Amino acid sequence: MTFTPRLVRAELFKFRTTPGAWVCVAVVLLLTGLGITTSFINGSNGVVHFSAPTTVVGLRRLMGAGYTAAIVMAPVVGVLSITTEYRHRVLTSTLLAHPRRADVLSAKVLASALWALFMGVASFAMIGAMGIPLLVAEGGSVAALLHQVGPVLPGMLAAYVLLAVYGMGIGTLVRNQIAGVIIALGLTLVLEPIVVAIFGSLAHMDVNFLPTRATEAIAGGVAARGPGGASAVTTAHVLLSWWLGAIALVIWGVGTAVVGYFTTFRRDIT
Amino acid sequence: MPTVSRPVRGATVEVRGLTKRFGSLTAIDDLSFTVEPGRVTGFLGPNGAGKTTTLRILLDLASATSGTCSIGGRRYRDIPEPARQVGAVLEATNFHPSRRARAHLEMLAIESGIEISRIDPMLELVGLTADARRKVGGYSLGMRQRLQLAGALLGDPGVLILDEPSNGLDPQGIAWLRDLLRHLAAEGRTVLVSSHVLAEMAQTVDDVVIVSRGRLRVQGPLSLLTSRSRSSMRVRTPERDRLAAVAHDAGLAPRPVGEDVLFVDGATPETLGPLIASNGIVVYELVQVNQDLESLFLELTTSMTARRPPVEMAAR
Repeated sequence: MTFTPRLVRAELFKFRTTPGAWVCVAVVLLLTGLGITTSFINGSNGVVHFSAPTTVVGLRRLMGAGYTAAIVMAPVVGVLSITTEYRHRVLTSTLLAHPRRADVLSAKVLASALWALFMGVASFAMIGAMGIPLLVAEGGSVAALLHQVGPVLPGMLAAYVLLAVYGMGIGTLVRNQIAGVIIALGLTLVLEPIVVAIFGSLAHMDVNFLPTRATEAIAGGVAARGPGGASAVTTAHVLLSWWLGAIALVIWGVGTAVVGYFTTFRRDIT
Repeated sequence: MPTVSRPVRGATVEVRGLTKRFGSLTAIDDLSFTVEPGRVTGFLGPNGAGKTTTLRILLDLASATSGTCSIGGRRYRDIPEPARQVGAVLEATNFHPSRRARAHLEMLAIESGIEISRIDPMLELVGLTADARRKVGGYSLGMRQRLQLAGALLGDPGVLILDEPSNGLDPQGIAWLRDLLRHLAAEGRTVLVSSHVLAEMAQTVDDVVIVSRGRLRVQGPLSLLTSRSRSSMRVRTPERDRLAAVAHDAGLAPRPVGEDVLFVDGATPETLGPLIASNGIVVYELVQVNQDLESLFLELTTSMTARRPPVEMAAR
């Protein structure tokens, strides 16, 4: 297996010239906008009000407003990168141009990661364009927000990248586009919370290696729920360290891609 | 043709002992044939004969149960820069419908390492320049076939492998394709083109490889296949049975059809006329009926209930 730069270029070109990838970017911006808005909803003494976040937790929530977009859309981009080829039979053209399938798969991994990185950058651009003016308008401190760039931004971008690889692994295994998207979203939004609830809370098993928990770990514990992000620090406290979370996500992503390669990607193209 | 004739190095395509099984179904059964450069070879057979599966194995898109395929002595996956050596058209559905035609070719050029400057001449060659900025989803089947062909020719390959390329083309398109394939072969390229309609290919191909139920039936120059097609005489006579007996005694093959009609296979007016006259048989009508290539093709590809050895034709 070798990384072939022109294959990566071709895969990025495919993203650029299909609407699905741009829809993913649009949804990321939309979800980031929602994340920004909710980070301004704070509460005290049972009263909910719209105001600038002032605590470390609140500012992290604003800086990490693209978290939901990451866990939802980054895997979807990964799924689309491979299943679109099966759905529209473009894989035939791809493999005629370059018959070594491992090279094609590795190019797709890298291209999905780069497109997801682009989505992450777009998400932070949205925070800059919408969150900072809102923060200023509400009398918040931009300097205090910028102090959270270090703890949140690198990890969040890494989360976009690694979750896209994870999604590509799912797509390689499933091949059907609709099934792949449903499975990726279902695992993240439905199955994992259930597993965390049953095995984590009730059975006290270690569920921190699951993809979204690992994502929380590398993204600086920004997945706090509720006004004020009161649980964020607590959540971060019990999560894996960022590097263990990154290793867990790499294993999930590369693992599913490798299994997909050996079980489905090498099959006959009919 | 918009391109100027120039010598191009084709390569020999070889299939040796190829077998492909899907569970208990044998799609290709010990198939062997050779395709030479500088000629258009028709890979012919009815639907389900194993043509597409053979081409997919040849192009490393599918695996063989046993046997080998090579292009210029190499497996497809071992050919460096394969799109520059081999151009393939497999089906008219290998497109993202939202991608514009030019972008599709650009994508192929990038992943094949082919110069982007090759795109416009190829669009012009297949007559799609005016529609190049349209999304492929709005293309007709014929336009998609032309786009596929443009993609196959992007790398100026010495070998062309085309699976049913005339599907969806109108009569003018088929005539255009015929001229193009002849032109490409005349430049020295190897052209292997599959079809389930021999009549459509008869004016295009130099050689034929005819398969049925995954087995080779005929391989050789089309001219020798043409010479195998025989003529029959259709005779309307009130003495059908007497003429049948006379023809049979003369070593011909009479076939009664209807009450007063007799076909005499292998006969010509010169052989049957004197026979009728010398026996004083009354004849109402005497017509020569030539068995066309399509009938011969059907005969070769449908009489496969028993395993028969392939027909090896004489070398050119």
